[in-house]
Amino acid sequence: MSGVSIIGEREQGQDVRTSNITAVIGLANIVKTSLGPQGLDKMLVDSIGDVTITNDGATILSQLEVEHPAAKVLVELANLQDKEVGDGTTSVVILAAELLKRANNLVKNKIHPTTVMAGYRLALKEMIKYIKSNLTVKVEDLGRDALISAARTSMSSKIVGSESAFFSEMVVTAMERVKTINNMGKTKYPVKNVNILKVHGKSSKESMLINGYALEMGRAAQGMPTSIENAKIACIAFNLNKFRLHMGIQVLVKDPAELEAIRQKEMDFTKDRVNMIIESGANVVLCSGGIDDFALKYFVEAGVIALRRVSISDMRRIATATGATVVTNLSDYETSDEKFEASNLGSCSLVQEKRIGDYDHIFFEGLAETNCQTIVIRGANEYFLDEVDRSLHDSLCVVKRILESNAIVTGGGAVETSLSVYLDDFARTLESRELLAISEVAESLLIIPKTLAINAALDATDLVAKLKVFHHASQTAEDQSKKELKHYGLDLINGKCRNNMIAGVLEPAISKVKSLKFAIEAAIAILRVDDMIKIAPKLTEEDKMRLAQQQAAAQGQDFF
Amino acid sequence: MFANPMRQAPVMVLQNNTKREQGKKAQLSNIKAAKAVADVVRTTLGPSSMLKMLLDPMGGIVMTNDGNAILREIDVAHPAAKSMIELARAQDEEVGDGTTSVIVLAGQILQAAEIFIEKRVHPTVVVNAYFKAMEEILKITEELGVDIDVDSEEDIKKIVTSCIGTKFSHKWGDLIVDLAIKATKTVLRQSGKEVEIDLKRYAKVEKIPGGTIEDCTVLDGVMFNKDVTHGEMRRKIENPRIVLLDCPLEYKKGESMTNIEMSNEEDFKKALESEEEEVRKMCEHILRVKPDIVITEKGISDFCQHFLMKGNNITMIRRIRKTDNNRLARVCGATIAHRPEELQEEDVGTLSGLFEVKKIGDDYFTFVTESKNPEACSILLRGASKDVLNEIERNLQDAMQVARSVIINPKLVPGGGALEMELASRLIEHSKEVEGLQQWPFKALASALEVIPRTLAQNCGGNVVRLMTELRAKHSKDDGLWYGIDGNKGVIANMKEIDIWDPVAVKLQTYKTAIESSCMLLRIDDVVSGMKKTKKQAAPQQEEEPRPDEGHTFGDERDG
Repeated sequence: MSGVSIIGEREQGQDVRTSNITAVIGLANIVKTSLGPQGLDKMLVDSIGDVTITNDGATILSQLEVEHPAAKVLVELANLQDKEVGDGTTSVVILAAELLKRANNLVKNKIHPTTVMAGYRLALKEMIKYIKSNLTVKVEDLGRDALISAARTSMSSKIVGSESAFFSEMVVTAMERVKTINNMGKTKYPVKNVNILKVHGKSSKESMLINGYALEMGRAAQGMPTSIENAKIACIAFNLNKFRLHMGIQVLVKDPAELEAIRQKEMDFTKDRVNMIIESGANVVLCSGGIDDFALKYFVEAGVIALRRVSISDMRRIATATGATVVTNLSDYETSDEKFEASNLGSCSLVQEKRIGDYDHIFFEGLAETNCQTIVIRGANEYFLDEVDRSLHDSLCVVKRILESNAIVTGGGAVETSLSVYLDDFARTLESRELLAISEVAESLLIIPKTLAINAALDATDLVAKLKVFHHASQTAEDQSKKELKHYGLDLINGKCRNNMIAGVLEPAISKVKSLKFAIEAAIAILRVDDMIKIAPKLTEEDKMRLAQQQAAAQGQDFF
Repeated sequence: MFANPMRQAPVMVLQNNTKREQGKKAQLSNIKAAKAVADVVRTTLGPSSMLKMLLDPMGGIVMTNDGNAILREIDVAHPAAKSMIELARAQDEEVGDGTTSVIVLAGQILQAAEIFIEKRVHPTVVVNAYFKAMEEILKITEELGVDIDVDSEEDIKKIVTSCIGTKFSHKWGDLIVDLAIKATKTVLRQSGKEVEIDLKRYAKVEKIPGGTIEDCTVLDGVMFNKDVTHGEMRRKIENPRIVLLDCPLEYKKGESMTNIEMSNEEDFKKALESEEEEVRKMCEHILRVKPDIVITEKGISDFCQHFLMKGNNITMIRRIRKTDNNRLARVCGATIAHRPEELQEEDVGTLSGLFEVKKIGDDYFTFVTESKNPEACSILLRGASKDVLNEIERNLQDAMQVARSVIINPKLVPGGGALEMELASRLIEHSKEVEGLQQWPFKALASALEVIPRTLAQNCGGNVVRLMTELRAKHSKDDGLWYGIDGNKGVIANMKEIDIWDPVAVKLQTYKTAIESSCMLLRIDDVVSGMKKTKKQAAPQQEEEPRPDEGHTFGDERDG
């Protein structure tokens, strides 16, 4: 062996490219069948036997244990799309894989990867420009129906697809209610303010939207009232157990009677605190720690609902929603006494304990400050609920994006086909080698309508050809009436092309733009790789010694 | 290095040990698994059902015909089968009855879809048709519901009787029915429009082997497995004044670390005395409210017993459960107190008429009965063996749940498969209006509903084919609505005449759960298994019943 050798494996040039791309395509094939309204779900079983049933690309990919490094890039891509946009995770993976497949063919035909990459970048720029100038529609022009349609579109591929009319209304209402204006003066729609609870039983149609926040717990003692109107809420981030000195502190007493006094004092401490809280006017007390039984009695007597072991994140959210302050201790800076200010209390119009299914829930309705919303999902079993949760989350994100960016595009392959036709024309205006790469991008985009059609068991070639004709007409015709043809996409139920703007198949523009960006960037990242080195695990000292000995022995043999 | 560059090693995207099942194969294997689960419980449907005997690894026996109880014990590996088992649980927690029907129905519905999958009909078509059919089913079921008068004992009795009819305890006729109705009515609490029936917390079933079934009663109060702490205490008190505590009546050190420094013998004596003094004080506080009985969740020291018993003739019971204490508080109208020094007159419970400790078999049991307006109760079950008692308890739980469902939603539908038959015939009629390919799965679902009467007929040994044809003929006529299978005789009968009814709530839940879950399983086209568990996603399950104080009792629950 000559020259420098590397401990480990190494792949170079075309080999590594092909291997990477095969892996990526393999991964895309896994999620391919889950795209579109006729897409199906995957059942993922882990080694313990826990089951996840899902249609969400990001969830599928993150649950799979992907080993191949290039494939891992794609998994991250899906996660990124999930975080940034929340929807369109499957299509981004499929698109990236298709782009890579075609890039590989170009490279095989002796076009340098950098040329391909440059072409891809240029195509991306053109596409985004085109989407922004020609394909987006402002939501104001369409109103609330557009929001509902968009929510529905994102749900159509999921298990809630057949109930999408019901859920989309719920999602849009929830998002409209959580509208807030942040201190920068911008209107925000935080998805986090929509709390999703899952309770099995009943059917998905009995899921409900509650104007308020809900906790999955019962009140601390059965003697407390089940509902309180005009609630004043105290949030307490310390426990109301018997007071105890910190570890390591010892109290030395001479007189045994004092011992008893200490014991009483311990209880009195907490009693005083409880009374202070009650006296401030609080009638609902959330405590992050425990509440001792003896302390509960005071709450019961005062007719206060006390909740113990509320998770701190729930408490913070309730505190912001009701205008309460989370109190971490009661000490007063001016005097050495403790006090609980009434200004720390938050308020809401109704606090109520209700039983849903077999579990108690505490509802906070009519919150004073911000509007939290709670969606309680009902359904046949846990797997079903988890999947509905994921679907609703996606839809919430979609609605948020639309509300914040105010722009939508048509779905059902309309945008992709339109871009493809446009890029094809655009490529012909170039004189450089990038032309080839750009027309490949144009072809790759068609994978989305194609996959949609295949998943619906329709004739993909025929339908996509028809679509292309429509879009070509819309882009070239002078006639204004033909311009509307740009909204034509697939109707997967009847196997036809139709105006998806009218049919209400809508997606947020930002989701399309982002997914194109992510797909192309990921493709470029993988394409840039021309050498893969897998470092072998480091040898220990012992191993090295043994190796050296073996080598020495071998050499010795050669010598003699 | 010399390897042929054309021959590449296969690119591994996923880990080696992951297994995949795709497409039709996955769908068919899911259906098969669901069918297998349904077959396990099939014979336990209806009045002529058989029990199952399940042996657990520890050698314990469960004998039951409750679908949920059977499936809970079975350990399955197939993910789809797991999902089926979840259904029984959801049904049990939501309505408490119909667990077997839901499994049998779901199995049948999936089986009905099998032929479509074989014929390459797209699963989403089947799923959409199923959802459509479900809507129709729910509509018809609501329509057919017959209103009943909740206040009339007879009406409720009818329905609970037909629920019990399929169970083991059916042998004892009205006995269990009466128990269930009485218990449910006892815990019913009405505040305005809201009806609260918390069977889980306030209706406790106590099983004592021995005696005869006829000895089973619903107490107008509660009982628990405890004896007075000292043999000489009064065991029978009329119109007792009861004090409930959840603190120990013995000397207890404080929470903070305290040490006593003793310099001479006197100090030691003094320390002991002051301990005694503390307990004495505690006792005096208790004496202030002049109770006849003191019951605490914690321990009672010998000294305290002596003090309260000798001079004041007070009966004491220690270490009862928190849940028992809660029930007791509701029965006798007492408030559970923690600090003896804060006892007030209002905290004393005076509402119950009789306190009595009885010896049944080898154990002592405390009864607090003859309460004026008990809002909690204990149900005392007697019977030959523990296994029989366990089964009666399960039956009773079902019956109480049914009674609860009826009181909350007072509507009935005919049982004995009559409703399913009617639904089937109406849906088949309706299917002619369903457009396109969906017509077939719609029809198939309709026929799948017939599995309930068919299984009933099978289980009672009737001539299945003849009965089913006859029944179908009856239902095709306008006045055939009430005809179903009389599971005892194996003939067709008018359900109205022989009084076989089911609550609408139970039936609705059965259809919803069965159809929704089948749809979920049908949508799966890829099963990936064998991944390592990476993240813990599922939130910890809520505990069945918070029992924060169980730790403080010292292990011996049964002392007394």
